[in-house]
Amino acid sequence: MEEQQINHQVSADQDQIVDKKTLRRVFWRSFHLQGSFNYERMQALGYLYAMIPILLKLYPKKSDLAAALKRHLEFFNTTPAVSSFVMGISTAMEEKNAREKGVFDSSSINAIKVALMGPLAGIGDSFFWGTFRVIAAGIGISLASQGNILGAILFLVLYNIPHFFLRYKGTFWGYNQGTTLLSSLYEKGNMEKVSYCAGILGLIVIGAMTGTLVQFTTPLEISIQGATVNLQETLDQIMPNILPLGLTLLLFLMLKKGVKVNYIMIGIIAVGILGKWAGIL
Amino acid sequence: MILEAILIGLLGAIGILDGRIFGQMMFERPLVMGPLVGIVLGDFTTGIIVGATLELVWMGIVGVGSATPPDVTTGGILGTAFAIMTDSGAEVALALAVPIAILAQSLGILVRTINTSFIHRADKYAEEGNARKIVLMHWLAVGLFFLNGFVPNFLGILLGSEVVEGIVNAIPQTITEGLQVAANMFPALGFALLLQMTFTKKLSPFYFLGFGLAVFFGLDITPVAVIGAIIAVVIYQLMPTDKDKEVLL
Repeated sequence: MEEQQINHQVSADQDQIVDKKTLRRVFWRSFHLQGSFNYERMQALGYLYAMIPILLKLYPKKSDLAAALKRHLEFFNTTPAVSSFVMGISTAMEEKNAREKGVFDSSSINAIKVALMGPLAGIGDSFFWGTFRVIAAGIGISLASQGNILGAILFLVLYNIPHFFLRYKGTFWGYNQGTTLLSSLYEKGNMEKVSYCAGILGLIVIGAMTGTLVQFTTPLEISIQGATVNLQETLDQIMPNILPLGLTLLLFLMLKKGVKVNYIMIGIIAVGILGKWAGIL
Repeated sequence: MILEAILIGLLGAIGILDGRIFGQMMFERPLVMGPLVGIVLGDFTTGIIVGATLELVWMGIVGVGSATPPDVTTGGILGTAFAIMTDSGAEVALALAVPIAILAQSLGILVRTINTSFIHRADKYAEEGNARKIVLMHWLAVGLFFLNGFVPNFLGILLGSEVVEGIVNAIPQTITEGLQVAANMFPALGFALLLQMTFTKKLSPFYFLGFGLAVFFGLDITPVAVIGAIIAVVIYQLMPTDKDKEVLL
């Protein structure tokens, strides 16, 4: 009973130090994550920029502040859209550190950041880059290629609804229940399930786009014993759009073999020009 | 021309800063920049269409991880602008945009290298507990990114249009037509890049399912996305929660 009361007091305290308003500032500043991106420590300075309102509030003493500022200048890199979640967790831990001075192990703050950025980037990239953006762009492009401005607008809206939702909510989830939320998700294997199913959706859409958006045909006609055979018609009988599918898979294999994207681009241009010149494409 | 150059330069700056201080809301992409360039240069529709073409080409090019990808913002803006200014189609835009994006990429790499010095100075200010100076270091780096977006696009319009027009007029027809073929093939590269991110042996049937839905049933992207979402949700519910998950994954 007594213990519970003490816990209550602590959590009430907690609300007093870092209020909703300050957390909201972290949310807005999280948009700056890559503003000072550099090759040595990547998003570190941007991360600190977002944390500064919290740190100023928590550490009135200059020496404490200096230690906290240095702490958040360590290497950091993750998917920008999920960064606010990590910032929320850092906030909760900094607050604990400020309250339990000397008792709390401040090095754990960075340890958690480092432990989180890898897996979160994996999930974040597959969600935001591999799923949301692909679907939004696929829908946007099909409208825009007919000259419809709704294409660009829909693209932005479809992508940014989940983006803003997760970025905003993530700040508070991270702060309120960050560590417990994450460990429970990992224990139950829900995280893997979610990203596995996001992968399914992403792949289905990429498949559909391969079938509709790549135009790759051949005008080649082969004459066999006087009769001319249109190669494209024959291919269509085997399977429609077999050439775009084959091309995509071929390029995928080349990428997997480590061929540089820029070389592939130049190669495609060369193949296009030579193919046209030779009358194959 | 100077006013247009300034406006296009500002568009470039906004596009580059999108991924820097606007949280990557995606207006850096050619699909969005194309129409905006169209408004500035007085050909909205061409801007939309060229933007869509370039988006398709670069769909798979994103800044994942620590790599600096080809600068699709500057490539997209100048490619669209030159297509409008020379009255030519998407294939010319593509031919110009691809090398521009690669050139501008090296500018981005330069900025990210210089920025290292700001974080070193931030280290010193952290030691002193000077938060204000750290914020200043952050903003100086942002300033460099602003120039990274503004300068190439501004100069491209100011100096490039006549040069580009000359080049475009000199291109023989076989090459223009060949570029059209290449432009149509390019999306395959985008999808290959996306596959690199998501494709695994176990998930591969879903790729072919999407392909089949589009090819055999003639479905558009939107209905396929809806069907895909339903399938993903159903599979999520069917997946065992705890112990047996190794069997499935």
